[in-house]
Amino acid sequence: MELMNNYKETILIVDLDAKQCDTESLSEDMVAAGLGGAGITTALYEQYKDRDPLIIGTGFFTGTFMPGGCAGVVSAKSPVTGKLCHVPFGGYAAVELKLTGFDFVVVLGSSDSPVRLWLHDGLSDLDDAADIWGKDVWDSVDKIREAYGDEMIQLLVIGPAAEAQSKASQFSVNYWGSFDKSALGAVFGAKKLKAIALRGLDSLDVAEGFFGACVDLKNAICAGAISGKYGLKDIAKDIGIDAGAIEKLASMTHRNNAAYNCPYAAAAFVKYNEAPTAVDMKGHPAPGCLITDIQGFAALHGAGLDAGQAMEQCFRQGIEPEAAAKAGKTDGVSADAGKAGAFSTAVPVSIFGSGQGDAGWQKRQALAAVLGIDPMLMVMAPEITEAKIVELVQMSAEWDDFSAEELDRIASAVIAKSA
Amino acid sequence: MDLKVDSLKCTGCRICEFACNYHQDETISSIGSSLMFYFEEKKNYYGMMVKRAKTLYLGRPEGEQLLKPGEQIEGAGASAKPILLRVACDCCADEDDGPLCVRACPYGVLSLEG
Ligand code: SF4
Ligand code: SF4
Repeated sequence: MELMNNYKETILIVDLDAKQCDTESLSEDMVAAGLGGAGITTALYEQYKDRDPLIIGTGFFTGTFMPGGCAGVVSAKSPVTGKLCHVPFGGYAAVELKLTGFDFVVVLGSSDSPVRLWLHDGLSDLDDAADIWGKDVWDSVDKIREAYGDEMIQLLVIGPAAEAQSKASQFSVNYWGSFDKSALGAVFGAKKLKAIALRGLDSLDVAEGFFGACVDLKNAICAGAISGKYGLKDIAKDIGIDAGAIEKLASMTHRNNAAYNCPYAAAAFVKYNEAPTAVDMKGHPAPGCLITDIQGFAALHGAGLDAGQAMEQCFRQGIEPEAAAKAGKTDGVSADAGKAGAFSTAVPVSIFGSGQGDAGWQKRQALAAVLGIDPMLMVMAPEITEAKIVELVQMSAEWDDFSAEELDRIASAVIAKSA
Repeated sequence: MDLKVDSLKCTGCRICEFACNYHQDETISSIGSSLMFYFEEKKNYYGMMVKRAKTLYLGRPEGEQLLKPGEQIEGAGASAKPILLRVACDCCADEDDGPLCVRACPYGVLSLEG
């Protein structure tokens, strides 16, 4: 196995009780047992269970040429379900984490004062966060980027709702919320961990032939089930979102963004403070927001709120949008939306005719969380077959005896241990 | 031949940068790439810069622009500066199957022209 093609071989252990950071090595045995992502965060969770661990992990293919290899996973016991949950996070944040030099981050215990963790260039700094505790997510992102002097810093961050350990809260990826429907944001809050800031300039090795094999798979995906579809609007139409909400989304959509190496652009940037068609770099400083959780957007619209602006309020406060919709407001939200689960219910069961019912969905989500593949793409791209995954694991890590049975065993274990 | 960017089709997936880095030094990363994504996140304003041998090419939503050495990159901020130190695009002349960034882009944004 050539681990350096997929991992930097380092686990960071952050002990908040002692305010200390330490490292352990990510061994070949751990990768053989759990492959990556949720396969390994589950093992680390069991190892550190008595210290209330919050674990952030990168998948086996995160930051590689594997199509959709954008995702990481946050694993912790949900305050809502009381069980281990795996929440995917995408954009560029998980890639940035892997390229900081840390594959996994295990946060243990809790701090007696607000802190933020700054990971960069193989270094881990546990810094005071009193200056941003109490601030909303948008202000916190701006202040942290300013403090560390880099606009490209990626963040997992919480707002006031998660600081108060609300079951209606979520953690946020940069300014734009997340797929956290299990209130893992409140776990950050209980630990007084305001943010994890990431900037990674490291590199991974690449196995011979892997780039070409990934380009071929990407071309097959683009020519497959997603062909002719574009943007969040087409997903919304396909999964039966209310026509009024779709119209609202379409009327404000500026452009659709893709997460790192994703062949489907599933995030719609909506503008409500200037014309959606404007592409002027000197325009409004905060013209709108980025929507990935279409069900949250639709729920807010259905609750009679102005969905674009209401999403922004949820993002700023760090509130899960469906919980806000249930409460009918975006301030003082206390109820959870009852959407918590082992994997994020922000991901539809079927998109564009691809989907294999609830059990099939669960397996695809477990695989996404292990491999670091975008969880939406795993549903909408049946071209990413299990046989193809096995072939690419073998090729990427020069690991010829990795088998379909092993992949199956690893996904099943992740599902069983979060049930 | 020069690399061109059809910016309005771009989705910001950034795999072109990592593909170019792979061409330039056989690893996956973004820091050795001749291409650089620049991004004003709150405005969702983004474009691509390409370091060419004698100029800097900007492919942004408003259109294309060529800058000569010493000219300011208007609006792209301090994060754009490192592109000036990067190795210039060689159009992947030694790659048998064509330019890696063009092959990697899922959205048909990049092309070699001229
Ligand atoms: S053509 Fe080749 S050298 Fe030029 S930007 Fe693309 S990958 Fe880099
Ligand atoms: S690969 Fe294509 S779509 Fe992605 S950032 Fe580069 S040019 Fe844009």
